[in-house]
Amino acid sequence: MKNPLALIGSLLAQAALWIAAFISVFPFYWMIVGATNTANDITSGKASFGTHLVENTTKFFTTIDAPRVFGNSFLVSILGTILTLAVTSLAGYGFEIFRSRTRDQIFAGLLLLLSIPFAALIVPLFMMFSRAGLMNTYAGIMLPGIAAIFMIFYFRQNTKSFPHELRDAALLDGLKEWQIFLYIYIPVMRSTYAAAMIIVFMTSWNAYLWPLMVVQTNEMKTITLQLASLASAYTPDYGLIMIANVLATLPTVLVFFLLQRRFVEGMLGSVK
Amino acid sequence: MSNAESRRGNLAGWAFIAPAMVLLGLFMVYPIFWSLWMSFQTGKGLNFKFGGLANIIRLTKDPVFQHALSNTMIFLVVQVPVMIVMALLFAVALNNPALKGRAILRTAIFLPCVTSLVAYSVLFKSMFAVDGVVNHTLMALHVISAPIGWMVEPFWAKVLIILAITWRWTGYNMVFYLAALQNIDPSMYEAARIDGVPAWARFTRITIPMLRPVILFTTVLSTIGTLQLFDEVNTITASAGNGGMPADSTLTLSLYIYNLLFKFVPNYGYAATVSWLIVLIVAVLSWIQFQVAKER
Amino acid sequence: MKPFAFTWRTSLLAAAGIQLLTATMALATDVTVWCWDPNFNGASMNEAISRYSAGHPDVKIKVVDFAKADLEQKLQTQLASGQTEGLPDIVLIEDYGAKKYLLSFPGAFVPMTGLIDYSKFAPYKVELATVDGKTYSLPFDSGVTGLFYRTDLLEQAGYKAADLQDITWDQLIDIGKKVAEKTGKPMFGIDQNDAGAVRIMMQSAGSWYFKDDGKANIKDNPVFKASLATWVKMLQTKELYKPVSGWGDYTGAFNKGDVAAVFTGVWMTGTIKANGMSGKWAVAPIPKLAGVDGATHYSNLGGSSWYVLSSSKSKDAALDFLKTEWAGDVDMYQKILVGQGAFSSYLPARDGEAYSAKDDYFGGQGVWASFSDWQAKIPGVNYGVYTNEADAAVAAQLPGLVAGGSIDDAITAIDAQLEQQMQ
Repeated sequence: MKNPLALIGSLLAQAALWIAAFISVFPFYWMIVGATNTANDITSGKASFGTHLVENTTKFFTTIDAPRVFGNSFLVSILGTILTLAVTSLAGYGFEIFRSRTRDQIFAGLLLLLSIPFAALIVPLFMMFSRAGLMNTYAGIMLPGIAAIFMIFYFRQNTKSFPHELRDAALLDGLKEWQIFLYIYIPVMRSTYAAAMIIVFMTSWNAYLWPLMVVQTNEMKTITLQLASLASAYTPDYGLIMIANVLATLPTVLVFFLLQRRFVEGMLGSVK
Repeated sequence: MSNAESRRGNLAGWAFIAPAMVLLGLFMVYPIFWSLWMSFQTGKGLNFKFGGLANIIRLTKDPVFQHALSNTMIFLVVQVPVMIVMALLFAVALNNPALKGRAILRTAIFLPCVTSLVAYSVLFKSMFAVDGVVNHTLMALHVISAPIGWMVEPFWAKVLIILAITWRWTGYNMVFYLAALQNIDPSMYEAARIDGVPAWARFTRITIPMLRPVILFTTVLSTIGTLQLFDEVNTITASAGNGGMPADSTLTLSLYIYNLLFKFVPNYGYAATVSWLIVLIVAVLSWIQFQVAKER
Repeated sequence: MKPFAFTWRTSLLAAAGIQLLTATMALATDVTVWCWDPNFNGASMNEAISRYSAGHPDVKIKVVDFAKADLEQKLQTQLASGQTEGLPDIVLIEDYGAKKYLLSFPGAFVPMTGLIDYSKFAPYKVELATVDGKTYSLPFDSGVTGLFYRTDLLEQAGYKAADLQDITWDQLIDIGKKVAEKTGKPMFGIDQNDAGAVRIMMQSAGSWYFKDDGKANIKDNPVFKASLATWVKMLQTKELYKPVSGWGDYTGAFNKGDVAAVFTGVWMTGTIKANGMSGKWAVAPIPKLAGVDGATHYSNLGGSSWYVLSSSKSKDAALDFLKTEWAGDVDMYQKILVGQGAFSSYLPARDGEAYSAKDDYFGGQGVWASFSDWQAKIPGVNYGVYTNEADAAVAAQLPGLVAGGSIDDAITAIDAQLEQQMQ
């Protein structure tokens, strides 16, 4: 049935995808190989698995207070993700049901807010947080990221595909807006939430510039900050850095794998 | 819709966006007004005085700023379209239910964006070293005859940064398209196929128009992201703690702001002025992008 | 969780009243130290702390490490914004940045003149942290430079240790050409983006980017011109070096045995000794600039010092700690030299056992004694406030110069860019 041109096209597409996938994954392979080698092997470009995984791992757990830094990262990222999703999806939905001209103006304003380089806001934000006694606290690390403008945009965009008939029918049945949000919007939009959760978790896990300003003691460090201090040593121990990289990347990869199933379910689950 | 209904919708709408607005008000309004006010001050650290338009005049005379601006624009013009098109094509190809290994491919292509910045920069620096694995591979494949100085030659350093950002963010953008593709009714494609519409036309006439909001969304965001490009040029093309190497060929506006604030003797006023210039550029570009999207 | 603990503590203190508060303050002799390399200055600091704590159980000293650039970012922001809450009591600052912090934030650091006998430290280290006759630093590690080289490779090319003594950079280039010809290995691994070599050459002849009054010293500075020209000549001699990019690639070049030599600060010794080539290395003084008044074979690259912040609540404890350990404990210096490779600028330390030891890795050469001799002769210079800005301006011109651009035009451009940044 298929014409030959379409067949070639589809083969080319497949080849391109597999090449892209290979390029995407290669650095991860490189990192894992590095975690099994010594610093010297790594700098001399050894590309095969070595025998130093146990040694590197042991060094990691003896030089770094792993439960503490991972605990901090998990706490900040999980709590931060829940709060961010709540605040931004509410706003995204709110903007969609909100029908006035102010909406577009607020929206344009948000876009401009998003375009200010964060570096420019660090100094005044730092002064605010310092005066408010939020330095070196978990709240201090999380707070500026919760109302993520980017995520408000994301939910707003995706809400456009939320079937309005559902909402109209629910309104006729006498449901309140918060009930519609809770019982209809969230379940229907779960693939949107799954993707959002991956992105927000990843962003808070890897957050760097701001946590750096807030954190003042070893006890409050996140794994991302710890990694940076390892990597900047005069005599960098690349075996240690690579295993640290692997361990620090693992949670975000796991979150992705866990939610990916949801993601697929969301795909199959009908949003018609 | 009646007035009463519309008012009810508005009230609820306000209630839903209130938490976000309160937080943004708390954490953005003060810093923004501070930086706006600072952009009219001159001086180092907190010893400053009102300078009127002095900072804006300085922009016109500052070769480093002009260099950073042109670098940033080159990154923007080359990188954003390449990435958006690739992400879109990957998403559509992956959305084909007949494709084998979809889950693996999707996961693999998305994976780069989960790496932390530190891991990413250590890896790229080692892979793109003069005698690193990338040069070795390219030479073995006879693509090049001599190793490329990825972080040594100004031209290749720019290429490296574009490769790095594209590696990291293409899969990320692809996920947005994939998610949006789920919301297109498959029966539309079915009907088109039965009517004998070829694949390319199905792509341009159904997929693109249906994805227009999300394409606009990702384009605007990628534009903003590239205008704020900082992480890569501060870590990958960096030497002895100074980013933007070699010879400032990868110096971006955001990195310049960072240097003015944290590396050089701090000049908050001038750094704020450069920041507001970025805001201005974003405003203009976004307006253009919205107009283009609207007209189609 | 921290916020909870914070509120709890605050309300408790409020309830207990001001008396308890003062009582708590009096007992609190917590000292926090910020530094950047957990295996180097962090580990050295921990060694000093454990020795001090033995006699002072009431003082709790803690080390917090950040990446160097991160530490500088935090320190600069806190000082500039006037928010002292959360600043450490002691901070490590790289010597190149000393004047920037001391002059930009007057009053932020405690002067230690009178408390510390600075005649016991390398003069150039004291000078770089002295403002208006007051010295603010407790000098830590030295960046005294040396030319580390592979004796086996140089012998193959027909050179002995004596051939590397008292030479000029131009002679070194000739040696490098011969080494490449005979051994097939380039002399150096060079990162073209790193302006460090220009800094080494400038200081070796007692000059810097800035004059004593802080003004730019680029135009009409024969030392700067000679340094830049020499470095460009080296970069143009392609057979002299293997191009590298970034730190790992740079150290990798000599770790892997790809190159025959490296000229750098003494702190590189530990890295060189980590590559299992015992007996094959040696150290010579660096070459000197030809045709320049005051040219020497002694210079500095990097190095850092401890500073006490004026905002510290445990100032006395911090000062006493620095004085007792870092300006008095010769044994501690032996220990961190062996353990961390931290080469001190505390002159009495050189009489200790470790400093006078012969090192088999360097073919039985008494490397530490040599470095001690060289360190005492490093010309003192004023690093000024804008060294980062100057470095950026120099780096921006290098590729053009290597491609054959005019030195005088480049100097004009560097001067213009630096003046622009200094306004």
